[in-house]
Amino acid sequence: MSHEDQARLADRLISGDPSAFRELVEAFKRKVYGLAYEMTRNHADAEDISQITFMKIHKAIGTLKPGYGLSTWIYQIAHNSAIDHLRKKPFFPKEALPSQTSERLLDGPPDSAPGPDKVAESANLRGRIDEALAGFSERERAVFVLRHYHDLKVREIAQTLGITLGSVKSYLFRSIQKLQKALGDAETCPDDGERP
Amino acid sequence: MKRCRYWRMRIPEAIYGELDAKGRGEMDRHIAACKECAALYDKMAAAVRKMEARPAPDRPPQYWEGYWDRLEARMAHEAEAPRVRRTLRIPAWAYSAASAVLLVSLGIFIGRTLLRPRPELIPVARTASSGTAMGTGQPALETGSVTPAFAIRASRYLKRSRVLLLAVVNSEPREEDPFRLNLPLQKRTSEELLQEAAVLKKGLRSSDRRLERLISDLEMILLQIANLASDSDDSDIEIIRAGVESRDILFKINLSEGRRPSPKSPAGQPRA
Repeated sequence: MSHEDQARLADRLISGDPSAFRELVEAFKRKVYGLAYEMTRNHADAEDISQITFMKIHKAIGTLKPGYGLSTWIYQIAHNSAIDHLRKKPFFPKEALPSQTSERLLDGPPDSAPGPDKVAESANLRGRIDEALAGFSERERAVFVLRHYHDLKVREIAQTLGITLGSVKSYLFRSIQKLQKALGDAETCPDDGERP
Repeated sequence: MKRCRYWRMRIPEAIYGELDAKGRGEMDRHIAACKECAALYDKMAAAVRKMEARPAPDRPPQYWEGYWDRLEARMAHEAEAPRVRRTLRIPAWAYSAASAVLLVSLGIFIGRTLLRPRPELIPVARTASSGTAMGTGQPALETGSVTPAFAIRASRYLKRSRVLLLAVVNSEPREEDPFRLNLPLQKRTSEELLQEAAVLKKGLRSSDRRLERLISDLEMILLQIANLASDSDDSDIEIIRAGVESRDILFKINLSEGRRPSPKSPAGQPRA
């Protein structure tokens, strides 16, 4: 949905158009669900969080200001809902979590007629990516997911999460570096940033 | 030239195409001049490219088809829930009232069960400040209070009754023995004990039903003794003896005395 479309939808929501809310849900349900899933790594929790997010949005439509970034606002509510959910949830060690690889293989789109070797290689890579993402902090994961999967700009991520631009850049750098280390041999710059 | 730290922190923006033309040009120039930063850029870009193997999480189409219906149902349920909660809400004062009633009930229960004195320790009469009973010098009884004097008086009554009954039951009128009945004395004692029994029964007021029944049984026997003719024969005594045995009067007296602390008899009290 383009920025112009978002602005028009926001105007309709503010004016009380009854069909606008359903349109918003249809436009953002996958994105909200996706963010919630990445934050919780659990489909049931993602469904719960996404529904809570839309209910909060429905209640807060009156506070929406014309011209305000609709997607940023929605992601902000979704992220906060996910964090609230994680705070309320009892602690489980990462080892006790269900295998994300198997769920991903079931839910993800099928490869176009891949051979057995390719399937195995792809599954192996997904497993390593999942492991790497599991090692991210909540902030790193939120920043990376919003940048990589939701295509939010650094500035928008900062606005969504309520942090500075510098912090977003730092979290993004660290998360990609962790990913790179998890997926291949890591090498660091020897001068540690002191090169003129 | 800016330092490597600055450019490395901008590598993610470069990878995701967020740098403007000027920034991108400066980044390219730095990478061309710095092999380490160039290597880091390549590795990080490769890692991001590998993410293509992991598409965004998604669900089957049928899941998304029913999403709106599920959301709408939940919103309706959530909208209904607070209304139901408001309807069923119990006011705060009700909890206070219920707590007070519970406390009072608990107090009554404790008072009636745990703190209730044992029946044998309930002397239910108190000595009145005025009047005496039966001309014995004992103060008259007044019901409704608890005094040790009543217990002493009841005990004394039972002892006197036992002595009298033993004398009557064990007498042998046809034999000439030093312990034969002195009927006038025993008839007078019976009359005194009957009067005492009336006072005791009034004082008991059903607080000790066992003692009350014993006094009633004794009254029957004492009445028979008091009405004995001066020349009564063995058959009259036999009737009294049968009455005492059939009602287990002596056993009940002993039992009643065993349940009560034995009071010390004041000196100079009349005996049967």
